[in-house]
Amino acid sequence: MAALRSTSARILGASRPVFRVAAPVRGFANLADAAQESQTASGSESKLKTFQIYRWNPDTPTEKPRMQKYTLDLNKTGPMVLDALIRIKNELDPTLTFRRSCREGICGSCAMNINGTNTLACLCRIPAEDSAELKIYPLPHTYVVKDLVPDLTQFYKQYKSIKPYLQRDTPSPDGKEYRQSKVDRKKLDGLYECILCACCSTSCPSYWWNSEEYLGPAILLQSYRWLADSRDERTAERMDALNNSMSLYRCHTILNCTRTCPKGLNPGLAIAQIKKEMAF
Amino acid sequence: MASIARSALLRQTAAFPKFSVATQAIARQSAIANSVRATAAFHTTAQRALLPPLPQHVDGSVNDPAPVPAPSPSHGSYHWTFDRLVAASLIPLTITPFAAGSLNPAMDAFLCATILIHSHTGFQQIIIDYVPTRRVPRTRKLFTWGLNAATAVVGLALYEFETTDVGITEAIKRVWSA
Repeated sequence: MAALRSTSARILGASRPVFRVAAPVRGFANLADAAQESQTASGSESKLKTFQIYRWNPDTPTEKPRMQKYTLDLNKTGPMVLDALIRIKNELDPTLTFRRSCREGICGSCAMNINGTNTLACLCRIPAEDSAELKIYPLPHTYVVKDLVPDLTQFYKQYKSIKPYLQRDTPSPDGKEYRQSKVDRKKLDGLYECILCACCSTSCPSYWWNSEEYLGPAILLQSYRWLADSRDERTAERMDALNNSMSLYRCHTILNCTRTCPKGLNPGLAIAQIKKEMAF
Repeated sequence: MASIARSALLRQTAAFPKFSVATQAIARQSAIANSVRATAAFHTTAQRALLPPLPQHVDGSVNDPAPVPAPSPSHGSYHWTFDRLVAASLIPLTITPFAAGSLNPAMDAFLCATILIHSHTGFQQIIIDYVPTRRVPRTRKLFTWGLNAATAVVGLALYEFETTDVGITEAIKRVWSA
């Protein structure tokens, strides 16, 4: 299943086999590929794949949400689920609504639940190996605006509440930028890459039940990003803001967040670090 | 991993051998019907909407930060640290009497108290998770006091068991060899 590729596969690109036979002349590879592609497009029969997509229209609120089926020929569609969605919107049904922007996994707009896993549609390959229908839902336990568009108001409000910016009073000694050592900078790796797509938070059962008060893995990862920053001087205040029964301690180490993160980050580890630092 | 993550219904359709298109479609439909029937038969409990989601409500404007609660370490960091210490101390407390083969009443009493505290905080977590104060404040109070009462009763029972009977370690030993 494309959504559950291992991290190494994600880095290498899942389409490429790990041990590829080296082409004798690299320059001709493109030509050969193109020839092969046109051959498969014309030669073999079409490779049909059906997508079941969650539909709900706010203009007719009394109508129940439904799953609508669209069938595409995979030979004429790009490899990712987002390509299929864009093609459905362009060619089959212009009323289909979803968020998308960068189509390369850096904006976090196209987060949705694909075959039961929260992921970015642009980073999720269409599983071509079986003919099973692909099910696409909006992020679970969110208020749906329309079709695949969830309402992330509470998520962003919570992000704002942790003050996600550098807070310090002492000016830098030379009046220039705030410097930090390489070791201190290294602590931010695996934290700053978060794109706030909300895949992890909406996969967390604790966040499902208590999203009004529990901050959720994404926001706590960001919280730790500022706690771990050597240049920030409000660490004590930031910890005080988390030191109650709801904000942080509703995390029960379920680790759905780590499993689902489309960027391969580890919010579970960050939350454990916060708990450890606050322990005594 | 993929097969575990996929739903049973999807797995059944995917596992079906590939015939010609027409027979495949028919076979798949019957497979789906079968699996749906099997799933319906499997779930015997009625679906009840306990605490169904309320209509969306936004505190203040969309640009205001979510409210930050006042710090209370006794419900936060101290509570968590205490929980971990209790859980960690249970491991040696459980193993030692059987490994050493000796029965120390003081240690037995300490084990009982630790188990009691451990299960109390465990149930407390469940109540905090599933019976939210903001939604059902009175039910929450009922559950909290119910838990306190249950803990008190179990504590009393364990005290009686320790003082007038054989004690928990000896009881487990006897049940084990029985």
